[in-house]
Amino acid sequence: MPPMNNISRRDLLRLLGYGSLASAGVAGFAACSPPESEGTDSGSGGGGGDGELGSELTLATWPNYDDPELLEKFREETGVRVNVQVYGSTEEMETLLRAGNSGIDIAVPSQYAIPGWISSKLIQPLDYDKIDVDLSGWNKAVVDQEFDPGNEYTIPKHWGTTGMIYSEELGEEPTTWREFFELAGSLDRRATIVDHQISSIGSAAVALGLDFNVQDPQGLSEVADYLIGMKSKLFAISSDVQPGLRNGDSWLSIAWTGDGVQVVRDNPTFKYVIASDGGEIWSDNWSVAADAPHPEAAWAFLKFIHEPENAAANINFTLYAHGDPEVNELVDKEVVDNPVVYPDDDTIAPLSFATAETYNSPDRAKTWSRIKSS
Amino acid sequence: MPKLIPRASTLSTAPAVAWFVVFMVAPLTVLFVVSVGVRGPDGGYAGGFTFDNYLELGNRLAPIWNTLKFSLLGTAVTLLVAYPLAYYIAVKAGRRKLVLLALVIVPFWTSMLIRTYAWTFLLGSNGLPAVLREWGVVDDLRLLNTPFAIVLGIVYNYLPLMLLPIYVALERLDPSLRAASKDLGAGRLATFRQVTLPLSAPGVVGGCLLVLIPVMGEYLIPVLLGGGRSYFLGNALADLFLQSRNWPLGAALAGAFILLMTAILLVGTAVARRLSGAATTGSPA
Repeated sequence: MPPMNNISRRDLLRLLGYGSLASAGVAGFAACSPPESEGTDSGSGGGGGDGELGSELTLATWPNYDDPELLEKFREETGVRVNVQVYGSTEEMETLLRAGNSGIDIAVPSQYAIPGWISSKLIQPLDYDKIDVDLSGWNKAVVDQEFDPGNEYTIPKHWGTTGMIYSEELGEEPTTWREFFELAGSLDRRATIVDHQISSIGSAAVALGLDFNVQDPQGLSEVADYLIGMKSKLFAISSDVQPGLRNGDSWLSIAWTGDGVQVVRDNPTFKYVIASDGGEIWSDNWSVAADAPHPEAAWAFLKFIHEPENAAANINFTLYAHGDPEVNELVDKEVVDNPVVYPDDDTIAPLSFATAETYNSPDRAKTWSRIKSS
Repeated sequence: MPKLIPRASTLSTAPAVAWFVVFMVAPLTVLFVVSVGVRGPDGGYAGGFTFDNYLELGNRLAPIWNTLKFSLLGTAVTLLVAYPLAYYIAVKAGRRKLVLLALVIVPFWTSMLIRTYAWTFLLGSNGLPAVLREWGVVDDLRLLNTPFAIVLGIVYNYLPLMLLPIYVALERLDPSLRAASKDLGAGRLATFRQVTLPLSAPGVVGGCLLVLIPVMGEYLIPVLLGGGRSYFLGNALADLFLQSRNWPLGAALAGAFILLMTAILLVGTAVARRLSGAATTGSPA
């Protein structure tokens, strides 16, 4: 073989080297590690930079939960730049807060994590004098709940439901979890359940006539047998439910409000239905970390974000329901009239909040891993 | 009494020792300490000393078995795809060699996440199955979220890691050896079986280890292409830390996993050493 065809070791190394450099770069950029910084704008210039507030604030929140224009408005008014960190779950936020020195000022946990966060002193009592919010007129379905009586530590940011979403192709219109799971088990790999023990075990428990927050070993083993029995008939156990539905691979799925709104908006042949036999209502809530580096800025931000005009702007952007009727009056009519976003009181009456015990239960965690690994 | 080590060599080995202590010994110690602890009431870790977490592993064999099954199958299929390709590039490709190697390596430059996510659209109902339906080949083909999709994902993502060591082994093989084999009357098959294959064996073993070990830690492929219905060790670990927040059990599983990997690696290197020893006229490597 003529030597000109041989690739020198140096060529090969160079090829590999560029490759690993490039892939490391791309991976670092795109590997969706949770604390994805999306700072609104650099520089703390702009409006009257109040010395007490400092120049920045770190907000641990969820994807598409905060209107960037609103954060920019806050910066203009106060000189405080909001660093937005996006997380995929409350559990990830909790891991950072427990480790300490996270730099997080404001976190937005789901309600089930709050009792543990309070008892572990991860968050501090809210300074209502500085926030200037009165919760007395708010929707009773989401304030003054067992997870934070009197809302001493948290204020609901917005709330939603865990419902079912299905396409016309299904040819049926389930209205209860029992009907949902019967269909799921009768179809050949068309149904998706979310990869979250609280929502999936809870909904299956409701289908079996058990409590959404079931924790006793016998009830859990009933749920496990039920879901393991139909696992080979499921399309996926995944919280990324939208691609399957949109591509026509999956015809029905457990879904949270946000996914429901987006899929139905883009494709009106889909329906988002809240089960009439029970299920989950949830809220994500403003809280201030006990070791927040910028507490004054945090109070200022919570005051700002609860001014009805600002809160309404955020709801129009995020398409989740707010708990303050004054805010809802200012929200776009098509959002308030959308039953996916704002279900009526009768619809949500049978729903339950997941409790802290459900979130922390080792038996539920074990049941879920049994189901997933079966 | 051992001889005192001269100062210069102490200094020169210090960085390596520090590296070893900080990045190997310390984390493994932490891992072990956590693995004999108990889960706190709100999750996480609380101190303690118990081997319950290791005993509990007996009830968690499904992900281990799943991982072994898929990673061995995936590695075998990757080898079957990579060997002929490596052989072609090293022996037959001539001046197209560099281009072909680049074609193998360049896709590697994109993030694995993006490449794997792209397959969900190719394998979904509107992708390949729709094309085949259009051509009337099959009626209702379901590829996404099947074991087939997982193996495909493994082969696709790990092909370069298998191909390059085999390529290097074949490339270094002196063509005159094959010519000699032919002169001595061996057919093509016999030449391949008795000359080419044994001499490239170290590359094959190296490639298999390079693929098998990361595949055993695979998290992404079962999630994206398996739809979360096939559960690997990596998925079990992610769930234990992020959903169950049971750090002690997670640490025990991770520890057991490290031991399993070490065993595989020891066997693999022993095999590779014997093979390369045999290949280079029996001199001990």
